[in-house]
Amino acid sequence: MNIQSVLNEKFGYDHFRIGQEAVIQDVLAKKNTIAIFPTGSGKSLCYQLPAYLLPGTVLVISPLVALMEDQVAIMKKNGEKRVLALNSFLPYQERMKKLDQLAAYKFIFISPEMLLQPAVYEKIKTIPIAFVVVDEAHCISQWGFDFRPDYLRIGEFLNKLGRPSVLALTATADDEVLQDIIYYLNMDAPVTHKQSLDRPNISYAIYALNTEQEKTEWLIDRLEKTTGPGIIYVASRRRADELAIQLNLEVGSVAAYHGGMEQEDRAFIQEQFIQGEIEWICATNAFGMGIHKDNVRQVIHEHVPATIAGYTQEIGRAGRDGKLARATLLYTKADINKTRFIIQEDLPLEEEVRYFGQLLANNVVSKEAAHLAGISETGKRIIDYYFERTDVEETILRIAEQRSEKEKQLQKMTQLIESPLCIRRNLLGYFGETLIDKPLSCCLACGNMDADWIYRITKKRGERVIMDWQEKLDELLG
Amino acid sequence: MNLSALLMSIISKIDGERTIYAGFHLLRGKKSGQTLQDVEYYGLKKFFGLLPKLSTEVFDEAVAQLKNDEFIRVDESLLVYLTESGQAENNKLPVYNFNGWDYRGKEMIFFARLSLTVQTISNFRADSKNFYPTQKDTEIQTFVKTVLHKQLIGDASFSKDFQKELVELMVKSDMHDVQKVIFTHRLVGYNSLGWTWAQLGEALNLSPMTVKLYFIESLHMLLDTIEASNTTPFTKKLAVHIKVSSHLTDSSMKTKVLFQQGYAMEEIMTMRQLKMSTIEDHFVEMVINDELFPIEQFVSVEECESVYQKSQELKTKRLRLLKDFFPTLSYFQLRLILGRAPKGVNDEHPIRT
Repeated sequence: MNIQSVLNEKFGYDHFRIGQEAVIQDVLAKKNTIAIFPTGSGKSLCYQLPAYLLPGTVLVISPLVALMEDQVAIMKKNGEKRVLALNSFLPYQERMKKLDQLAAYKFIFISPEMLLQPAVYEKIKTIPIAFVVVDEAHCISQWGFDFRPDYLRIGEFLNKLGRPSVLALTATADDEVLQDIIYYLNMDAPVTHKQSLDRPNISYAIYALNTEQEKTEWLIDRLEKTTGPGIIYVASRRRADELAIQLNLEVGSVAAYHGGMEQEDRAFIQEQFIQGEIEWICATNAFGMGIHKDNVRQVIHEHVPATIAGYTQEIGRAGRDGKLARATLLYTKADINKTRFIIQEDLPLEEEVRYFGQLLANNVVSKEAAHLAGISETGKRIIDYYFERTDVEETILRIAEQRSEKEKQLQKMTQLIESPLCIRRNLLGYFGETLIDKPLSCCLACGNMDADWIYRITKKRGERVIMDWQEKLDELLG
Repeated sequence: MNLSALLMSIISKIDGERTIYAGFHLLRGKKSGQTLQDVEYYGLKKFFGLLPKLSTEVFDEAVAQLKNDEFIRVDESLLVYLTESGQAENNKLPVYNFNGWDYRGKEMIFFARLSLTVQTISNFRADSKNFYPTQKDTEIQTFVKTVLHKQLIGDASFSKDFQKELVELMVKSDMHDVQKVIFTHRLVGYNSLGWTWAQLGEALNLSPMTVKLYFIESLHMLLDTIEASNTTPFTKKLAVHIKVSSHLTDSSMKTKVLFQQGYAMEEIMTMRQLKMSTIEDHFVEMVINDELFPIEQFVSVEECESVYQKSQELKTKRLRLLKDFFPTLSYFQLRLILGRAPKGVNDEHPIRT
């Protein structure tokens, strides 16, 4: 079997997409590989295909349970049954059962915290590993500190496993992030494959408004006059709910999506959006990973994202079908400080860290100590990570570093939105790229926006109508 | 129906005897001695564990609403009372058909099974064998796979029969028309997408919480109907192990086993390395849940009778008040007696009319 025939037989494609083949060759040669490919360019094929040509199991470390479940569901749907997702959703007993049958799986998806459990790690050690994939590898740098200190420990895990070859995948990485990935994963002599992050079919606009009210009015007008499907990213769950209610009232076919909703409700909204029963989603950043919808025409931010990397990822969900799409950002002056508050909120302050340290020294239980010192759950995870490795002073220093790093990221974002220059050029510049071909419809700063398509509303917004209960049962089972 | 109204019904039963948070623990189904005992004393079984994930935020909002409407008041020792207008309002409320004590949130597992079954059948009927299950829980998936194993899922007769069962059960259960609509719209199938709480609320002009409460009640009514039904074998399979088999907590169960083997309370305490107060809690739980519990080993029939009478007369179940009249009885004995109140005394609260 060669890679071309696997591509035909297993995946049903005739040709590789740009860049895929080179990555696959490196993975097959057991090189440490980093692939920085834009969203929707076929990253998962880069590990799924070589898996069929190498003996052993492919271990995929994935940061978000939702993303993992999604990937597994797709693979199962496509006929690969030897897939397992090991995460905290899997009930304990079933997890124990699966752990005894690990070798039966070709693909094992695993969350970083699961990886660090000794019982799990001991079992993984006993099976032959083809190679390890670190998906969304930028998490190690971008939010690794905040939400996933466990991601930082993948390097330690790989060492214990005897350094299998590693494939790190991400859609967004500037040089700093790239260096972090190599450093924290302890990657030896990695080969990097990087594709341009430019999305020529997306045009950009950024508008400074004066008040929240203006934003809402702008959005109502926008949804009335322009085409969907679209995603509106907001700063908080509450805002997602409230805006969705208002837009639904004024325009219709809008729903909220955020992490505070029940799993079933989130699944309903995702499916409605994908099937086109609703046109617009008001979402927090919980929405997007693993949403497969090619025809998203607009992504609108009505807050200031904390990092350019995160922003790029979110707008990258527009226009995956290659047709024209628009990314718009609305902000008021106050928004920059709002974002600053949100990102600094969870980082423990110097006096909190000191007090926490004192309490521990006096044998207060760690959880209680955090409570007494007024440290949030996320904050505690950050402190725990450092306290295991170093002392109080060093911890304070490192947290201060993080604080200024986050501030630096926000500054860059601020520069981007306040700059009068070409938005596309600025964005690419941030990732160390130079803009070569400017598309006809570029951005508001360039002024050459071909705006006809956006006012062409092709789809009539259908109201979803409640049915009689017997009719509904007929629809389901009749 | 909404959370405030539900809460008012609860408060009408614990009127002046408990704090507002007794209602919170009750709705969340807290398995503490106090809550389990309240459930029996005040006839609150139907409300137990209706909203296992209820947040303090949402609860406080409902309380604030009631205070705002002057339907309830809270005194300096935090005991909660129904006001006169609150009582009038409460009398207008319909009778709830919840059965929280028997289902304790597990009705949602039943619904998840049912939902995945419907989704599977619907997709097979449309010859779409690859679909994304809305129910992500692997335990649910395994269960449904087992139930559907070797069934002719794609056959028209199979889905027709299943549909007939559902219609029969829904009609028999006596659920309200709006509940039938909610129930069916939470299901998904081939080209038939589900409705969120918020979307149903908007379409039916109800709050999302009200929709959810209607839904939970309809599931309880449906499950009660399934249990009594002989003509719906397939749906019955989906309801297996949903009703709690023992109302005792696991720890109380262990104590009960030892007690049945003939060990005395002190011995059980030593063997289980627990505090006497904990063992006492277990015994109170046992007396509440087991009609055959030999209460006469702890108190006499006469003592029971006089405590019931006093409790009726004073219109209270507060131990401290009763204790003054029965100085020879211990608090433990009083709790046992109240836990064994004769039928009718606890069920429909006769204390305040």
